[in-house]
Amino acid sequence: MPEATGDCRAHAEFPGARASGGGCAKSSGECQTRYFGVMEYSDDSIIRVPGGIPGFENEHEFILIDQPSHRPLVFFQSLHTPPLCFLALPVQSVDRSYQLRVSAEDLELLELDPSRQPKIGEEVMCLSFIASGEDHALSANLLSPIVINVRTRVALQAIQTECHYSHRHPLRAEEPEPVCS
Amino acid sequence: MLVVRRRQGESLVIGEDVEVVILEAGPNRVKLGIMAPREVLVFRKELELTREQNRAAATADVLNVLGNLGVKRHV
Repeated sequence: MPEATGDCRAHAEFPGARASGGGCAKSSGECQTRYFGVMEYSDDSIIRVPGGIPGFENEHEFILIDQPSHRPLVFFQSLHTPPLCFLALPVQSVDRSYQLRVSAEDLELLELDPSRQPKIGEEVMCLSFIASGEDHALSANLLSPIVINVRTRVALQAIQTECHYSHRHPLRAEEPEPVCS
Repeated sequence: MLVVRRRQGESLVIGEDVEVVILEAGPNRVKLGIMAPREVLVFRKELELTREQNRAAATADVLNVLGNLGVKRHV
């Protein structure tokens, strides 16, 4: 089904970590993806998930595929398992007032200051995986967002405790999610 | 569901070799101590929900997602 489109490029869109499909990257490789055929990526665009994510504990490296035509949706593609690709939305495009609460332990694993919460969009990128139920209704997992340190590209799935966020936050059909800039 | 009232310091036994102790009981949360053999997995419910939801997300129908989000179907 998939066919790579021209403007498609694996990159992590955050400050200081601009991936490039061209020659300025130190080192690069090619990755078979679930939806976009073979894509190029640079080593500095790899997102490392040392602990894996629940259910996929052996997956430690991902790339973020962000296509302008699909925004705000992004594709969290496993680097080593082509069929494994999560569809995700930035949490703030699901819930504008989303309050991230990462435990001190997780902040240390993320190589961030454990004494305060990181700023979404500045220090961390925060993504919510999308799932479709048996009735095809879409939901976003706000209980356990993927939190990526934008500087080091280390990431983990931060399960929010002491919060009221749902692991199946309903996404309304036929209504594009607002894009936050 | 079995409902049992317990006070701080009291405990419950589940099966042959699992014991749950109420270490602290506050207005909004309790602190539990769990003694169980190594082979018994103990984890927060949120972890299980996350694992299930990750599996569901890994098999999400991309065309349904794109269509419902109003994103162009380029994939």
